[in-house]
Amino acid sequence: MSFVSVQNLQKSYAGNPVFSNIDCHIERGEFVTLLGPSGCGKSTLLRCIAGLTPVDSGQILLDGTDIVPLSPQKRGIGMVFQSYALFPNMTVEQNVAFGLRMQKVKPDERLARVREALELVELGSFAGRYPHQLSGGQCQRVALARSLVTRPRLLLLDEPLSALDARIRKHLREQIRAIQRELGLTTIFVTHDQEEALTMSDRIFLMNQGRIVQSGDAETLYTAPVDLFAAGFIGNYNLLDADTASRLLQRPVASRLAIRPESITLGLQGELDAEVRSHSLLGNVIRYRVQVREVELVVDVLNRSPADLHADGQRVSVSIDPTALREVA
Amino acid sequence: MRAEANNAGWYHRAVVYLLFLILLLPLAGTLLYSLATSWSATLLPSGLTFKWYVALWSEPRFLAAFGQSLLVCVGALVLSVVVILPLLFVVHYHFPRLDALMNILILLPFAVPPVVSSVGLLNLYGSGPMAMVGTPWILIGCYFTIALPFMYRAITNNLQAINLRDLMDAAQLLGASTWQAALLVVLPNLRKGLMVALLLSFSFLFGEFVFANLLVGTRYETLQVYLNNMRNSSGHFNSALVISYFAFVLVLTWVANRLNKDKT
Repeated sequence: MSFVSVQNLQKSYAGNPVFSNIDCHIERGEFVTLLGPSGCGKSTLLRCIAGLTPVDSGQILLDGTDIVPLSPQKRGIGMVFQSYALFPNMTVEQNVAFGLRMQKVKPDERLARVREALELVELGSFAGRYPHQLSGGQCQRVALARSLVTRPRLLLLDEPLSALDARIRKHLREQIRAIQRELGLTTIFVTHDQEEALTMSDRIFLMNQGRIVQSGDAETLYTAPVDLFAAGFIGNYNLLDADTASRLLQRPVASRLAIRPESITLGLQGELDAEVRSHSLLGNVIRYRVQVREVELVVDVLNRSPADLHADGQRVSVSIDPTALREVA
Repeated sequence: MRAEANNAGWYHRAVVYLLFLILLLPLAGTLLYSLATSWSATLLPSGLTFKWYVALWSEPRFLAAFGQSLLVCVGALVLSVVVILPLLFVVHYHFPRLDALMNILILLPFAVPPVVSSVGLLNLYGSGPMAMVGTPWILIGCYFTIALPFMYRAITNNLQAINLRDLMDAAQLLGASTWQAALLVVLPNLRKGLMVALLLSFSFLFGEFVFANLLVGTRYETLQVYLNNMRNSSGHFNSALVISYFAFVLVLTWVANRLNKDKT
């Protein structure tokens, strides 16, 4: 029996379904990510689990009991918002203590637990500050401490990193994951950023237009997309229709084909003659656009040394690893 | 270059000081007149005295009018806080679409001239089951409608600056009931907007004359009506009244600003 199981969940706004027949199961202590483009229903699903948005029908079982009839106060779920949602009139310490105050925890125990939570997010010395005196990353860590201090059964993270700049985002990502592992806390994380999803999650639910398209670990999702949407959303797949694919491989291909750009090798000697159309430097990777048999392909090559760089217009040859070809519906 | 900048600086300063002078001159004249023993055929008053202020502040009719003005204003403001705060909360939290309608509704007290609406009010509340013309109650009700736009706008701006929905959601997930979340989290963050709104409405209502005179008149004399009724008495006395009124509003504004600034 899964720790969290969402069964046949339906939700619509004014007649338009946001999602229908959502089924998903999450094990105790698992870190799962709901990944999808904006408007795919992932945030709404999260809000339904939190109880902030009512559902039309279906069940959400948490540790064996249906929490749909419960108010958000009684669900024992913690949540972190993209906007931090810290209370501006309270200090960091008062913010973190708020949940314990509502639970009527005794002041001395409250203080100890607040200290502990602030130490966990490395903000012990910031207890007396007000939210407007903190940076975005610090605010989000306070918000995390505030939702952890009540020892929730389930932690929900609604795009917590989206408002932060890149460097802080990477750091906080690792910190969140480390804390989650340390506490063994079952966590659902919502994001539209595939890199965040791939690096942080035990398991990813890829969502599109109100349904779960694919679920699996990062590896499966990256290497084996089930359909066109999954292949288009994750990675930078070359997507070829059946005709183009047949022309490229010189053999009949029945369906669309997805080829990962890093599974194609560029060299001076290889199977197929090609011409470099353009290239762009992404840092550790150089992304070439090459023309092979009148098919344009994206090829990623590790940036080993400047001497390996192929100039635009240069004749090269490419080899495609046959095991990396994915037929997608 | 420097001399030029200096010259420009002089010019700008001169304009500002001149403006201040023009604005303050009548007030200074009134102040001087209220302190003068007599001031008629000479350039400057013949002597200075506090007797007009003493006379004013020991006049029971003035004290009564002052108290009644205060009572009506405070009554109207208490009523508007009690009604408008929950209204704003409901509009912004549950029915955000109603905000557009509210924005039109709150303009009505300004769109209808006071003389016109007071005639309407006299008709409506002059007789029948809700006869209250001539009592302070009608003034409190009427002042409530005047305070409405000030309160609504100032607090709406404040509400939009805080992220109401996320704050409420966060508080509820931490175990607070809707009431607790509203009182402990939302209300303290509306303090600034509320203070500005109250101050603005108070200074406006405290000096209101048209409604007070037409709806209630001498039966429940407010400060401005009293001033109007005193227009034929000594000018020195009236000047003392105006200066007292001005000083009161000034001190009040200053105190409110100080109170609002405590936390950084």
